[in-house]
Amino acid sequence: MSHVNTVLGLVPAAELGFVAVHEHIGYGMPGSELDTQWWKTPEQRYEETVPKLRQFHQNAQPYGAATFVDATGICNGRDVSYYQSLSEKTGVHIVASTGFVGGDTALPFFERASVDYLTEQFLHEITVGMGMTGAKAGIIKVGVSRGFLMKELDLRIYRAAARAALATGVPIFTHLAVNAEPAIEIFEDEGLPLDRVLFGHADDGISQGKVRDRWIAEQGGRIGFDTFGYDLELPDPPFWGRPRQERLDHFLGYLRDGLVDSVLASADANCSPLGWPGVKGHTVNYLFDVLIPALHDAGVDDATIRRIFVELPASFLSLQS
Amino acid sequence: MGVVNTVLGPVPADELGVVAVHEALLSVVPGAQYAHDITIDRAEVFATLERELRAFHTAGGGTVVDSTGMFHGRDVRLLEALSRTTGVHLVASTGMGPEALLGGYFLTPQTNPPTPWPAERFADLFGREVAEGMVVPRVERRGAAGLVTTATTRGGRTATDESLLQGVARAALATGAPVSLRIDDVDDLDVVLKEGLPARRVAVVTDDPAAAIDRGAYVVVTDPALVGTLPAERVLLATGGVGVSFGEDAPAASYADLPTALAGDVAHQVLVANPRDLLTIEES
Repeated sequence: MSHVNTVLGLVPAAELGFVAVHEHIGYGMPGSELDTQWWKTPEQRYEETVPKLRQFHQNAQPYGAATFVDATGICNGRDVSYYQSLSEKTGVHIVASTGFVGGDTALPFFERASVDYLTEQFLHEITVGMGMTGAKAGIIKVGVSRGFLMKELDLRIYRAAARAALATGVPIFTHLAVNAEPAIEIFEDEGLPLDRVLFGHADDGISQGKVRDRWIAEQGGRIGFDTFGYDLELPDPPFWGRPRQERLDHFLGYLRDGLVDSVLASADANCSPLGWPGVKGHTVNYLFDVLIPALHDAGVDDATIRRIFVELPASFLSLQS
Repeated sequence: MGVVNTVLGPVPADELGVVAVHEALLSVVPGAQYAHDITIDRAEVFATLERELRAFHTAGGGTVVDSTGMFHGRDVRLLEALSRTTGVHLVASTGMGPEALLGGYFLTPQTNPPTPWPAERFADLFGREVAEGMVVPRVERRGAAGLVTTATTRGGRTATDESLLQGVARAALATGAPVSLRIDDVDDLDVVLKEGLPARRVAVVTDDPAAAIDRGAYVVVTDPALVGTLPAERVLLATGGVGVSFGEDAPAASYADLPTALAGDVAHQVLVANPRDLLTIEES
């Protein structure tokens, strides 16, 4: 029987239901907490967040349950006790992450740390708990610093993540799929099968032309189409936005080529952003409101949709012994 | 007589008494608060600092200035409780630096390209901590910062260090608060002075005290024996230690030794008059 670490404890993978595999309750760059321009009252944070999660829960009913994987790193406003209260009150399973969104979001204490120390940090958060919450991390977040090239600190974090993933069986999520060669080299060097790694944001606008996603898939890596909804058609799109149809076609290409098992999909939306304005109207429910109807229109059948949002993520998130 | 911004509010400057003017009461390397093997036990931190501050008070000490800035473990509410409990005036600081101690929010913001913050934004962030109060992150503002501080990178300042220096100077000019700098080269002090801030508003930790004094700044030394080698009206004395440190080893501070570290007129000048003049908020 396979299990997943959620913020409320170990849950059978069979109970996850519909999984939004790369999302954020609230994300902010380290230090943004000092800038009052982003502050929200607790009332406002709950008001912005709870209805979205309840809608997500409602939307996921046909799949039995809803699971929200929060890919916020240690120093980016991760707030595990808050996630616990949200999960408890809305019924949405929430999986939280250890790790860092990228070297440039790891604060100085971790920037100075060795691979061994970082490995211990991740192991502790996966097997003992995050901070004082008792909740165990279900994924390890790693990523590429700004500039599209892995920095030395990024590589150190990737290596520590690979070791912690091997020791505990949790999967790894990457922020950005660019410059994947050194990442894959580290994972192979450490003996981590690449199907335990989701190379995230392979579909975003600024990565196009830089990301070798088909090559990563050929090596066995999973490809994250996880910025669905950051469309350039929006009134004020973020710089990583992309034409909506172009992203969809990119995704459909995998399905058409029989590569459904190589992909996972999500919206990377913030319920209530912490250190940036966010993108108005973009929520995890984009997956139900826009993406699934678009897949239906493109002739994708329900079994494939269930494979993408239920079966594949359940297997990916399951702790491997 | 002017006032000094303490964590419990403005205090007449001549009430400060003997001042430990450039200290780190609580120091947390940014990120250490999330380390799996570090527990910041508030009760224990409080007990340690309470003991040290009471000893300082008993030895004749009046005020301790925490010059660690806004992003190195600053805990304004803890300092307030310590001040109320011990009767020692505590002054907390805003600012941060050098670049390597900043969070990604300031260095790689979510813009394309990720341009680091310019001086003007730092000036606004720090100035508001004096004018509107120091932040408890995402919760509230408390009392006003009494000092604006930054530091430059060993081996030479970075472009962001330069923005921090300019931002600190502009925040001080706008609010009347004093400045402290841990600098790599006296040229870093010149960046601050070029903004129009008088050198007498600046305390400097530097390997080249003579050059800083030439420009009219105060220099902070930690060895009492050095005080006699420098003009008394430009010297400040600090313990050189840390009250409680998380995330890196640091020598423990002994505040109680400070009030008796110097003898004669120089003691009053260095431990009372100079800090009083530096810390007094000027009309802006």
